[in-house]
Amino acid sequence: MLARSLETAGIATVVISLVREHTEKVKPPRALWVPFPFGHAFGKPHDPQIQHRVLSTALGLLTEPNGPVLQDFPDDVSTDHQPSAPVQASAVAPIANIPDDPAMEGTQMRLYHEQWRGRNGGRTAFGLTGIPATRFRGVVRFLQQFADGVDVDMPERPPAVDLPNFIRLCADDLKAMYYEARLAMKPEMQGEDVARWFWGETAAGQLLRRVRDRLDASENPSWKAAAFAVAR
Amino acid sequence: MPRLDRLPRILRSTLLTFPAQVNDTAPFAPLQMPLSACRLAIVTTAGLHVRGDTPFIGGDPTFRIIPSNISAADVLQSHISLGFDRTPIIRDLNVTFPIDRLRELASGGQIGGLAPNFYSIMGAMRKTSRIEKETGPAIAERLRNERADAALITPT
Repeated sequence: MLARSLETAGIATVVISLVREHTEKVKPPRALWVPFPFGHAFGKPHDPQIQHRVLSTALGLLTEPNGPVLQDFPDDVSTDHQPSAPVQASAVAPIANIPDDPAMEGTQMRLYHEQWRGRNGGRTAFGLTGIPATRFRGVVRFLQQFADGVDVDMPERPPAVDLPNFIRLCADDLKAMYYEARLAMKPEMQGEDVARWFWGETAAGQLLRRVRDRLDASENPSWKAAAFAVAR
Repeated sequence: MPRLDRLPRILRSTLLTFPAQVNDTAPFAPLQMPLSACRLAIVTTAGLHVRGDTPFIGGDPTFRIIPSNISAADVLQSHISLGFDRTPIIRDLNVTFPIDRLRELASGGQIGGLAPNFYSIMGAMRKTSRIEKETGPAIAERLRNERADAALITPT
């Protein structure tokens, strides 16, 4: 759809397609379908060779004289290690004896998270709320009070972002901090196992389940939508 | 893959019933120069934005500008979808937004260069009329003013 706007304005486009069935319907002018799961459009993280192969194949389509054209990327790249879909909270049973103090646990995670940032040139997926990691205990407290049914808000919430969306951003930041902390501890760990650990073994995972439950109990559609986003 | 026959049933049916637009034909702007002279932009539906910029919320039809000289450390993702693993992009932004690979192609002369700005919108949009009528044309006009010759459109 975007491609169509751009081509109408005279800009050549090529689309990386993950769902062939959708691309066949939308018919962008030039598209390369890739045999990878969602989240892996260019193949694999930290694999410049496969990323360049996908990129060059896609850019090659820009020189096609006619369209629409939908080409398939050769299916010769192993994706066995990549789960076809991510693990949701509902698919993981929590273990017994999870520590019940997410603030204390978060303080520990923050140290591993610092390690992750140090190793990755400062790159982190954390930061959607703008609240720094050093003040994240306040966010945890806010989420705990929300889960307990308290009528609560944070002064850091921008006026344009409503409460359920702000809670979703807080949850995304909490997950980013924990996921990166886990990858700092176990760099080879697959995404599926990181999600199983988060939902199955951490106090933060159990806190977000309770946040989800309160959001999901609401009749308000935007609260219900946030419930799904918090628990994935 | 995501090959639909390998996905969990719920995700598969969500995708199969997704209201994708149906078109019979496509507008087509042939590239006017060889790739080695072409100024490229990335336009992504991955819900990416610059750190500190307003995050996307579900159904948000607006766009964000990402300068093409941005450091990967300053790009965040605020996509709402349940359907993808976050760890690949946490590990390496290039798996969705291949800025380092494009810079390599530009310095090697395989492409002419990068347009000054890249653009980002939210993906998995069910209501797309504003994307079609406002956001898409607005991005197209900006790209044209910034003398982009071609755009690579990437999902997450």
